Amino acid sequence: MFRRKGALGLSVAVEAASVVKVFGNIRALDGLDFSVHAGEIFGLIGPNGAGKTTALRIISTLLLPTSGSLKVFGLDVVQSAAEVREVITYLPEEAGPYPNLSGWEYLEFMAKFTTKNKDELGRIVKEAAEICGLGERLKDRAKTYSKGMKRRLLVARALMTKPKLAVLDEPTSGLDVLHSYHVREIIKRYVRERGVTVVLSSHNMLEVEHLCERVVLLNKGKIVAEGKPQQLKEKFGSANLEEVFAKVVGFA
Amino acid sequence: MLKGFGNFLLKELKELMRDPKILLGMIIIPVIMFPVLGAVINFSMQSAQESAAKTVVLILNHDTGGNSTEFIVYLNSSVRALEVNVSTIDDAVPLLSTYNASEIVEIPANFSQNVAAKKAVYVKFYSVYSGAGILEGIGSSLVDSLVQQFNRNVAPDVVLPEKSVIIKGKVLEGVDPRVLSTLMLSQAIAMPITMLILLTYSMQIAATSVAMEKEEKTLETVLTLPMDRFSILMGKLSGSTIIAGVSAAAYMFGLNYYLGSFTGLTSAGASLDLVALGLVPSLFGYLLLGVSLFVALLSALALAVIMSAFAENVRSAQSLVSYLYPLFFVPSFALMYLDINVLPFWLRIVLYAIPYSHPIIASKAVVMGDYLTVVLGIAYVAAFTLVIMYLASRLFATEKILTAKLKLRGLRKREKPLAE
Repeated sequence: MFRRKGALGLSVAVEAASVVKVFGNIRALDGLDFSVHAGEIFGLIGPNGAGKTTALRIISTLLLPTSGSLKVFGLDVVQSAAEVREVITYLPEEAGPYPNLSGWEYLEFMAKFTTKNKDELGRIVKEAAEICGLGERLKDRAKTYSKGMKRRLLVARALMTKPKLAVLDEPTSGLDVLHSYHVREIIKRYVRERGVTVVLSSHNMLEVEHLCERVVLLNKGKIVAEGKPQQLKEKFGSANLEEVFAKVVGFA
Repeated sequence: MLKGFGNFLLKELKELMRDPKILLGMIIIPVIMFPVLGAVINFSMQSAQESAAKTVVLILNHDTGGNSTEFIVYLNSSVRALEVNVSTIDDAVPLLSTYNASEIVEIPANFSQNVAAKKAVYVKFYSVYSGAGILEGIGSSLVDSLVQQFNRNVAPDVVLPEKSVIIKGKVLEGVDPRVLSTLMLSQAIAMPITMLILLTYSMQIAATSVAMEKEEKTLETVLTLPMDRFSILMGKLSGSTIIAGVSAAAYMFGLNYYLGSFTGLTSAGASLDLVALGLVPSLFGYLLLGVSLFVALLSALALAVIMSAFAENVRSAQSLVSYLYPLFFVPSFALMYLDINVLPFWLRIVLYAIPYSHPIIASKAVVMGDYLTVVLGIAYVAAFTLVIMYLASRLFATEKILTAKLKLRGLRKREKPLAE
């Protein structure tokens, strides 16, 4: 299989080795091992409490692993956190923009962390405006946006700077069918056109099946299955990933 | 009857009362705080009365007769009257600090002769004004009541008091200390009340700002941006500080106008002007007062940022910040009533240790030209602020900013298990 080279010339975008995260008495991640190839859309799927957000937060340098190691394009998320932040963008689940900034101001604010060049800044924000498709509404304060509009704005923010890795936590969570479709199309198109690597989480397994090239199924902090959606369906003799998951965890 | 009202009200009360932060902030803190404030005020009154009883009065006696001696003995029964061997009031003033005295009584040469003839005699009373607080006039009132009692024993209105004040070592003839105290009362209350409003308001702004970032998850986004995390903290603090700085400047402007607008009537019926009496801060004094208020605000904002880091949302951040209010309320009310210098040593240490006492102490000190006290206070609060800011920066540098929350049961700090 053809593998695109990553931003730093590496074909592996994310490499997790025996990653454990403990909060008090709770073992949120229990020895996670997986790798994400540069240029692919990789999905972490599982029910609520499976450890998806914790894993994404470790990739994004927000949390430190209790043990194990996790590298992003060869950069250790603990030792080289600042360098990792240079090559990633992170979209938290159910995050919102600043309510009293207009959509345009929000995009400009975020873009300024990437470039000081005015022309470049203008180009980035214009691109984000195209990605989110909010048109004239970008001039309005974000507090007047619907949930779907906010999510489109934030997805555009996560992709506009052409990050080497975009980490998207439940990118379509809480959105209606049309907004979900729009966001999924943005992600697919952008990855295809720009060669950005995407790691996303979702508990919507049908969506992940449609979007991701490879997935890992998480349950109670552990990987219970890993592979391409089609391979997993064939392996477990299931019609969709939901059935695969039910079989793996013993519900079916 | 409103359909469903009772059921909804019950739900509302359960939800509110089961939130320990609301219970603590809205009910337990006030229940504790107001008795504490009452105790402070009660203690202040007692200490003021005790200090009045210990008042040292210097006697400048120009009379050689027996009635003046009798008058001094009479004064001595309630205060400590010390006869000084000088001839003019200007010579007596420097002796005030030597004997730790707060009043000078000048008995005229014709005192005994007039008292014997039951003719009115004017005795001059000079009260030292030190800007101590709203109970300052107690010493002067005590002397007044002693004179009235003396008159009752001798003859009505024989001894007539002629009142003046001594401010910063300068005698201001004809200025009634009671009128002055009434005028200065507004000042003694203005600073603590304004500081209370300013600090509580600013802290709520800062806490809400951080909690909003957490609630809206914008904090998670900015923590993954290619920027120094200390910049996030400084940005937060600077934003709130600029707003608070503008508020402090507005306050200084308003206070200046407020104090400048106050005049009263002297015993001679003339206008009493605080500016003319030198009882408003100088430009330098205002500057120092502004700095004192500013560093206190900065530390309060840094504390608010730290507290709100332990909150899950805006409501709990506001509740957490309210736990700090006793740090403002206690010194404000205490120093509104009493002179810190007359307090027991341990209580003085407690009040000096609270950073938010210092702007109030400074507001009195700048009026009296005691700049050293103000500068030392600023240095202390600045050091406290640096420590708090260091702690806040450590908090922002780690994952604690996202995971830490305060568990009120046992007030144990613990990490928040993440949902996913």
